[in-house]
Amino acid sequence: MRAFTAGFRLQLRTIGAYPDAVIPFFTAPMFAIIFLLIFDHAGREDLTAYALVAPVFIALWWLALFQAGWVISIDRWNEVLELLVAAPGGFAQAVLGRIVAVTAAGVVSFVEVWLVARLLFSASVEIHHPWLFGATVVATLAAMAGTAVVLSGLFVLTRNAATFGNSASFPFYVLGGILVPVSFLPDWIQPLSRVVFLSWSADLLRGSLLPGPVDDAWLRLAMVVLLGAAGFAGGHLLLSYVLQRVRATGDVARL
Amino acid sequence: MTAAVATARVVRQAIACGARDHFELWTVKSWVFGWLVRVFSQVTFFALIGRMLESPAQTEFLLIGNAVVVAGSSAVFAINNTTAERAYGTLTLLVASPSPPAVVFTSRGLYVAADGVLTALLALAVVGPLFDLSYPFPRALLVIPLTALIGLAAYAFSTFLAGLILRKREANGLVVNATIVSLMALCGVNVPIQFFPAPLEWLAHCLPVTHGLIAIRATLAGGDAAAILGNAGLELAVGAAWLTIALTTFGRFIGHGRRDGSLDFAS
Repeated sequence: MRAFTAGFRLQLRTIGAYPDAVIPFFTAPMFAIIFLLIFDHAGREDLTAYALVAPVFIALWWLALFQAGWVISIDRWNEVLELLVAAPGGFAQAVLGRIVAVTAAGVVSFVEVWLVARLLFSASVEIHHPWLFGATVVATLAAMAGTAVVLSGLFVLTRNAATFGNSASFPFYVLGGILVPVSFLPDWIQPLSRVVFLSWSADLLRGSLLPGPVDDAWLRLAMVVLLGAAGFAGGHLLLSYVLQRVRATGDVARL
Repeated sequence: MTAAVATARVVRQAIACGARDHFELWTVKSWVFGWLVRVFSQVTFFALIGRMLESPAQTEFLLIGNAVVVAGSSAVFAINNTTAERAYGTLTLLVASPSPPAVVFTSRGLYVAADGVLTALLALAVVGPLFDLSYPFPRALLVIPLTALIGLAAYAFSTFLAGLILRKREANGLVVNATIVSLMALCGVNVPIQFFPAPLEWLAHCLPVTHGLIAIRATLAGGDAAAILGNAGLELAVGAAWLTIALTTFGRFIGHGRRDGSLDFAS
């Protein structure tokens, strides 16, 4: 637990020290403005909830992709990975603490987007299903952290990690239906969307902001948790492989 | 050797150096399956909003706007070149050389603008038909030089920004991302600029992309030549204005850095 807490605190300090870490906190409200403008111009105020949910996912995904996913790679470049691996504290716990810190910081974007809607567009944003909303937010943050664990392992092992990172934003926004529901995608691509946890999360979050019943809410929430858990499991395997390899070769920084 | 010939040589070598950088960063495979897929997805993401609104006109507006803005937003990535020079430790050598740094930097990132223009045109050509857009030939060919004009105007703007943050390397990523999303919000990409409050509409007129995009929309909608040429002229004027500001201020920013020794050491 101490390693987890130390990682969490370290990452919070890192976020405060580097302006790059706050990029999504600038872009999320801007994307909210763009989406709200589109729906306002089209006279579709009924889609306000859609415009507010998408920027939050963009911010969270960005944090997972460009901050949390890089924690191990950056340690390698800073030549501190060897020290971290050699330390008696748990390596996985420290990494997890850092990833959770980044993911938790994403909650700020919820507040920003709500303020944009309220102050700039005078939109009333009501959470019609608060329990479902709260449960979905927690499950989404956990699933996002799970995804980041996978990415952090992949980025260490992949030569073209930077290229992948730069390219893996909008393809997942489309597949995940973060703004336009998956049902608007071609039939052949929809099964692929269902293995992306974003599609379940986005549907649920939109549903919790709208009046009317949300069908199969707990089943869909379970899918978010399941896919997030799969991410953690996959990430754990990848990190174990990374550690095993660096300990066997003794060449941590040049893995 | 005249000054013009010497400058032309610097321009040629800077462009060649930039292009080589580009091909180190991207292979054909990673460009096609990474970058192109990302951009096509981005344009699809916005075009799908039009489909959700059940409006072919909105779909067309969003698709064209978000494809064309790629030419502008890619040019903004050129800001990264300046901070990259600092990271490589070559910025001070460039500044110490007799060639004007503004000429080197303006030329060095031109490949980024060229890449953006090509990507934007490919997005229009590939994603457009997927959403039932048809382009009127041969007048649609006019979109090619208009997109190039947008790329160059945005590139001039980004060169100015590069000078502005030369000594603030830590802000590079924030400035790049903030500029891109601001261009998407303000330049008539997703809603017509007339929908904005007056001050924002005026701001949009001063930014690259806005007028070039209006010209492209008019071209594809069969608008009259005067409107197309007028807006193309305005895009050219905006680009020329930003280039002038960039060339005027770049030396000054470098000078500040030389005086206080901050080019290499400030964050």
